[in-house]
Amino acid sequence: MRALSTAATGMAAQQLNVETISNNIANMNTVGFKRQRAEFQDLLYQNVERAGAQSSDAGTVVPTGIQIGSGVKAGSVYRIREQGSLTQTGNKLDVAINGRGFLQVQLPSGETAYTRAGNLSVNDTGQVVTSDGYPVLPAVTIPQNASDITISKTGQVQITVPGQTTTSQVGQLQLASFFNEGGLEATGGNLFLQSGASGSPNVGQPGQTGFGTLQQGYTEASNVDAVTEITQLIVAQRAYEMNSKVVNAADQMLSTTSQLKS
Amino acid sequence: MDNALYVGLSRQVTLQRSLDVAANNLANVDTAGFKVESLMVQTDAETPRSLPNTQPIKYVLDNGLARNFGQGGLEATSNPLDVGIEGEGFFTVQTANGPRYTRDGRFTIDAQNQLTDHSGNPVQGDGGSTITVDPQKAALSIAKDGTISQGATKIGKLAASRFANLGGLKKQGDNLYDAQGQTPTAATDVSLHQGMVEKSNVQPILQITNLIAITRAYERISQMMSQTEDLSTSAVQRLGKAA
Repeated sequence: MRALSTAATGMAAQQLNVETISNNIANMNTVGFKRQRAEFQDLLYQNVERAGAQSSDAGTVVPTGIQIGSGVKAGSVYRIREQGSLTQTGNKLDVAINGRGFLQVQLPSGETAYTRAGNLSVNDTGQVVTSDGYPVLPAVTIPQNASDITISKTGQVQITVPGQTTTSQVGQLQLASFFNEGGLEATGGNLFLQSGASGSPNVGQPGQTGFGTLQQGYTEASNVDAVTEITQLIVAQRAYEMNSKVVNAADQMLSTTSQLKS
Repeated sequence: MDNALYVGLSRQVTLQRSLDVAANNLANVDTAGFKVESLMVQTDAETPRSLPNTQPIKYVLDNGLARNFGQGGLEATSNPLDVGIEGEGFFTVQTANGPRYTRDGRFTIDAQNQLTDHSGNPVQGDGGSTITVDPQKAALSIAKDGTISQGATKIGKLAASRFANLGGLKKQGDNLYDAQGQTPTAATDVSLHQGMVEKSNVQPILQITNLIAITRAYERISQMMSQTEDLSTSAVQRLGKAA
């Protein structure tokens, strides 16, 4: 009875769908989060009767044939790189990326990670770090006597020192972009790592062609839309239910068969 | 005299297959571009009479799998690399085994900047070339006729193909169809919608009522078969007494 295992693939797929949706909803308020979507594909087909096979000596052919599918599989779970809305925070060190690009972050292991979460702060030595305390690359240090910080759209970090009328530049934030952003490997903590599928990073200044701009005092909200996710959840749950009905039907037929000979 | 049993069996086999098809439809209720399938059944008219002056025996045979290529609903996803086809046409992707055709327009960009499907097969544009995106330029926009541009620069055109005999397309899994030697022609009257995905055209309610019909028919046939058996049992008993 192929129907049993076919329905099982359908249930497994919908389970993955629910897992993806629940992760999206859980990250509804995560800064810089990009929603994910499970993509499904049909599984292999079995040819019971081949289309195009000869049905007589006169050369007539079977026009359609019989192909029976064996269910569904998850093709990939990919991220939708849609811009999230910008939320005003008033924090001088919050930067939202408006457009393409990632901030580069140095991990304790020495590796470079990439993030869209621009809720930055300063550590005990004055260095600009992420909320986990990992330094942002290229390193920017804010002197202790700075009274005000300005980050321009193109990434220049400028400070005002009491008693001076002009601002002075202490650093330059850079962005990295990838050919295939969907291929980046998520490692948790809002961080991504380069992978074979993503290609190598292309580093440049914000505002250059191919890069987004920075917006000081804002963070990029998650692009999860609660209404969409909840409707998707309903669809997934119903689809799961319907596949379980197939299991029921197949079971009933098997039991009828086994009762045939009493 | 066991004819009734064999006729019943032929129907049971086709019913099981119908259930397999319905199960596959329901498993793919959320698969983009999936087309609903149904098993076609006929009575086999060629079975000869077993005895003169009797009715010919009519077995049930499945003679084909029909695929309803009707339009699936378009769902807005706001993903710029999702393209939904409205009308009769297929996208072409290049696989290791030659061109394959699909209604699933969820594309992505690979590390070589090529437009590919989610399995990594390059999407074939107008004239058979692949489509390469310049990541330094503006976001992609795809027009209704398939023209892909970045800002003012045209970088390619998505091609939609059509087939004379849709029944001859062979499904090979991964949402791909094998044309089996048919040559596609360009579909000119389709429109492509960026940011949309064509949903599966499976209507769950029909499939569930199908399931009910299949299980009930199966029960009926089984009942008929056990009654036939009872009949022969009692015949043997009665005839045995008479002798």
